[in-house]
Parts: sequence; C-alpha cells; structure tokens
Amino acid sequence: MLKSDDVMKISVKLLTIYRKHLPEGTVGNTCTLEVEETWRVSDVLTRFDIPNDATSVVLVNGFSPEGDQHLEEGDELCVYSAMAGG
Amino acid sequence: MKGWHGKILRVNLTSGEISTETIDPQIGKDYLGGRGWAIRYLYDEVDPKVDPFSPDNKLIFATGPLTGTPAPTGNRYMVVTKSPLTGALADSNSGGVFPTEMKWTGFDMFIFEGKAQQPVYLWVNEDQVELRPAAHLWGKEVPETTDLLIEETDPKAKVACIGPAGERLVKVAAIMNDKHRAAGRSGVGAVMGSKNLKAVVVRGKRVPEFADPENMKKLSMFIQKEVGGDIKTKGSSLREYGTAYVPQVTNELGILPTRNFKTGKFEGVDQIDGPSLKEQFLIRAKPCYKCPISCGRDTRVDVPGYEGAGEGPEYETLGAIGSSCGIDNLAAILKANYLCNEIGIDTISAGMTISCAMEMYEDGVIPEEDIGKPLNFGDADTMIEFIHKTGYREGFGDLLAEGSYRLAEHYGHPEYSITAKKLEFPGYDPRGAQGMGLLYATSNIGASHMAGDIAYSEVFGVPVKLDPVSIENKAEIVKRYEDVFTVIDAVGLCVFLSVRYMLDDDISLLPSRLTQVMNYATGAGYDVETMLEAGERVFNLERLFLLEAGFTGADDTLPDRMLKEPMTEGPAKGHVVYLDQMLPEFYRLRGWDENGVPTPEKLSSLGIQ
Repeated sequence: MLKSDDVMKISVKLLTIYRKHLPEGTVGNTCTLEVEETWRVSDVLTRFDIPNDATSVVLVNGFSPEGDQHLEEGDELCVYSAMAGG
Repeated sequence: MKGWHGKILRVNLTSGEISTETIDPQIGKDYLGGRGWAIRYLYDEVDPKVDPFSPDNKLIFATGPLTGTPAPTGNRYMVVTKSPLTGALADSNSGGVFPTEMKWTGFDMFIFEGKAQQPVYLWVNEDQVELRPAAHLWGKEVPETTDLLIEETDPKAKVACIGPAGERLVKVAAIMNDKHRAAGRSGVGAVMGSKNLKAVVVRGKRVPEFADPENMKKLSMFIQKEVGGDIKTKGSSLREYGTAYVPQVTNELGILPTRNFKTGKFEGVDQIDGPSLKEQFLIRAKPCYKCPISCGRDTRVDVPGYEGAGEGPEYETLGAIGSSCGIDNLAAILKANYLCNEIGIDTISAGMTISCAMEMYEDGVIPEEDIGKPLNFGDADTMIEFIHKTGYREGFGDLLAEGSYRLAEHYGHPEYSITAKKLEFPGYDPRGAQGMGLLYATSNIGASHMAGDIAYSEVFGVPVKLDPVSIENKAEIVKRYEDVFTVIDAVGLCVFLSVRYMLDDDISLLPSRLTQVMNYATGAGYDVETMLEAGERVFNLERLFLLEAGFTGADDTLPDRMLKEPMTEGPAKGHVVYLDQMLPEFYRLRGWDENGVPTPEKLSSLGIQ
C-alpha cells in the first residue's frame, strides 16, 4: 500500500482508437489515476497497453513532452494514434 | 501514352462544338496530370484578369494518371478555374466514384469554355459525347438531379452537378459528385452555373493501359494489404470514426475554430466528435473507389426537426458549422451538412461565413433588421435556416452567399472575416499551428489545408510529430508539403493514404513509392527529384497566374486576428502567427524575390519560361 505522500493524481485522456484502452465503465474519454510520484510518460503508456513509439502522439497539458518526462500532480495526459487527418 | 489516355475533351458551350485533342507527351510528363495539366491549359488559354463569370473563363475537370487505376485511393479529380470568391485560382478536389468513371470515358480532362444559351448537361459515354438540354433539371437540388440523369442516360452512369446555389452564382457553391462528394472550395459551382452547365454525366470502360501492368498490380496489392494489415493489427481512427475523430485532437491543442476563431477551445467538443457520431448517427463506413480506408460516413438522423440522411460530416464541417458557430447540437450539424450537399454549397465557407455573421451581429455591427431575427452563436435552428437561405440567396442569405469577406466588407469591418485571399479558413487555428499559418498565406487558392497539409506533422504526428507553435524549419517544411501535395493532386491520389504509404517515413516527405507507382503506370521514367520538380513547376505556374491576376506579395497574409491578437487560452495561449518571421525564408527557398515573384532563373530552371 502506498502512503499518501508517495502518490499523485493525474488524468489520462485517450482519443481516437485508443479510447478502447480506457478501463471498462469509463464515462467519456478521460479517467483519473493515482500513481506513484516516480511515474513517467512511458509508465502511463505501459499501464494502458499503448505503443510507446512514433505511432502514438502524447501531450502533457497540451504540450509535447520532453522525452520520457516525469509526471507531476494534476498533470493531464492526452494520447492519440498518429494518423492522417481531416 | 500509358497511364494517361493523353486525350482531352473540349466543349465550347457557346457554339455547342465538341472536339477532342491529344496532349503533347512532354507537357503531359512535365505537368503530371490533374491539377498540373489543368493549370498549364488555364494559364495558356485564359487571361488571369478575366471576370470569373465571363464566358472567357474556362472550367476544367481533370483526372490524373493514377485516377481509376489499381493504385490505392486512385479516385480523385480536380476542378480548376478562376474563382469568383477569391479572384485567385480554384483547385477543388473530390473523390468518390465519378472521377474514376470520368477517366474511363477515355479522356483525362474536360475543358468547358464559353456559355450555353440555355441550361445544358454533358453526357459522355466513351465516343458518344453530347450536350443535352437541361431546362427540366434547372432549379432541382443535387439528389433529384442525379437520380433523373441516371434514369435518362445509363443506370451505371456517374454524375457531377450543381444545385440551386451554383445556378444562383452563390460564391461558395460547390460541384457535387455522387450526390454527397464535393469539389467544394472557391465557388467552382458558381462558375459552372455561370456557363449554364447543370451537370456532367459519364460512363466508360476504358481503363488506361499501364507501362508495367504486372508490377503495377503487384505493388498496388502490396500496399492494399499493408494498409489492411495495419488496420487489422493497429486499428484505424479514420475507418472507425471518419475524420470526425479530429475535433477532440485539435481541441486538445487549442486550435479548434470556435466562435469565428475567437478561441481554439470548444466546451461542446464531446458532443460533436467521432464517438458521438458513431453512437448516434452512423449507418456504415463508405469508401471511395479502391480505398482500403473507408473514411466516408453514411449517416442518418431521426431526431425530430432534423430528419435526414446522407454522407458526412467530415471534420471540416464539424469545425465550420459546429464549433465555429458555437453549436454542439450534432443532429443539427448533420442536417445542415445534408442541406449543403443538396443545395450544392461548400460546408467550410458556408459555415465560416455564418459564424462571421454571428460575431458581427453579437458585436452590434450587423443590425437585427438586416438579418430579420437574432443570429447568435449556438443558435442551431437559425444556422440551418441561413444555410438554406445562403444556397437560395434568400433575404440576408443573399449577402451570406458572397462569402465572409464581402459580408464583413459590406459593413465596413473586413477584419471579422477569417480568410486568406478571401477564402475562409479551414479547421485549424494557425496561432497554434504555425506551419498552417504559412500555408494559408501562401497557398495558391487562399486558406486551404489541402494545399500542403502540414497539420499531418503539427497535429497528427505523421510521418513525424513537430512542435506546432515552433517556427523552426517551418518555411522549408511547408514548401515541401506544398510541392508534394501538388504532386498528389496532380496524379489523382487521395492525400490520406499517400502521406502514410506513398512517401518516405520522415520529414523529407520524399515520394519514393509514389514515383515507383507512377513509373509502373506511365513508363515515363520519373525519379524522386523529377517528381518533386514537377510539383514545384505546377506550383510556380499557379503562382504566375495569381500574379498576373493582380495579386502581390502583400496578399500573402492573414487576418489581424491571427497576426495581432494572441490566443487567449490553451497550449497556444499568448501566440499569434509569426508570419513575418517565416515568409522571407519561404520566398528565398522558393527562388522568389522579396516581393514573392519567381525569379527568371527559377522559372527557367523549371522550364516554365
């Protein structure tokens, strides 16, 4: 069991075909997670079984992350599949 | 010639004379086809200063060497003319099945000149080519026109036609094919209407010969399988949601046009996105000819007051008619989309013009008595009413039919019009996608995403993800996107598949595989460099048309809202478009002088003059 000091809350929004990776019962496209303070972007991708490569576009608070960026309390991750657009 | 038929059908609507011509093979090769052949002929035959509605303007339908071939997504055609909306070039592109059937008539290109005295339509069934009376069709909307023409020609015929909007010279009128597909932008439907040409009906079985049919088939099947495999293993957002998956993405980046581009974040985005469309209104995905993606949406609405059926909406429609008008009522957006297709108007320019009017009304610039009622953001029913009135030029719709620039100028406030070269912006606020800003400013038709869609990289991460608010190397990358997209338009492919499967998988965008397919089709001996050079040649000839029409470098600009008013929220907060920092470098890379004029050396190197 993690102590409350060691965890933080982040929200994860999965768009496009990645919506299917959201936990069952999720309303809309966003879920909230309590994760260890040490988590990085790659930990979230692993958690949701999303490819950690150029086929996925990741935004942290709307911006492209700097590498495998450390996450902070309240961060909003958005992930979508790289794809031709509209 | 292989791949191409090398044949052009010329239709003089004034005299009724119809003739066929062959194209000089060198011109054919150097200008690729489609958009390239069309500008070569338009530039040679039409004074760029011509009144777009004059019989002296010409209307060109052009397929490419890969249209109607086994090449995946080889299903596009271009409509090229001088635009009545912008005074610039019109380069409208459409898919569906009409372009393939047109190619199979045995002609690559149709050139319409003059003006018929009475409404007519053109019927082309290979060697049987006739201008037929169309008085009985005049006034009819697109679905009925299409059904009647198929009934009186051939059950397998394909139809491109105008609706009441084109007949009324609505400056945002489209040419609709296969009922629901639009060569939408720049008012090409109004040029067709000005010529009293109601429709073009085609039927044919003349699939062109290929230089290397075996390899053509092999490579095409390989790509089809590759796309199919990716869809099976990784899934496809385009197959799953159509382009309707995009609003969530652009909203996340803060560039979803909202309330006439006042902001890039829309609170109602969840109601207008792909999953909502799929859950509530989708019947099935609908592909164009030879397309493994199937991004088309066959939809139906049963919601009382908004009943209808048809195809769409695309992302651009959701942005223009939806978020830009502050509307999150998806049923109403679909209803408006169906109306646009039935009347024959461009959903982008029509929606953006209404959103411009909404802002001007709310700011007290347009008095309520001019409109006849309030016209507020978010008022879905009034939006639908004015879509209809735009198409029929009824009441205030007569002014909306002129597009947003003339509307705003009429009231002395052109700054409300979010346009470049008078063409309404598509669905990406360039303050948060700098390359798109440079593209809108420099495209030869005005603010078009299709002219070199760097949003693939700035927004969608294909082939690589670029920082959208950075201007680093954007001039060079936009130039490459423009040249490559010119090539894709010219050969007759769809950009969706091409960017992913026909170009190299890095920001060089080198069209290696596309070149291979072209050589199997045509045997013309292209290499990657000559293909890119051909794209640049076409782009520069288009530029000459603009300059001779009276445009200058001063027209390569954007509205003050983009250049002077920083975005107020989201990831693009605080940014304007840094056009002045990108444009000089873009000119230099293009081989243009500081006024945006191609240098004699540049033109000479491209073999233009």
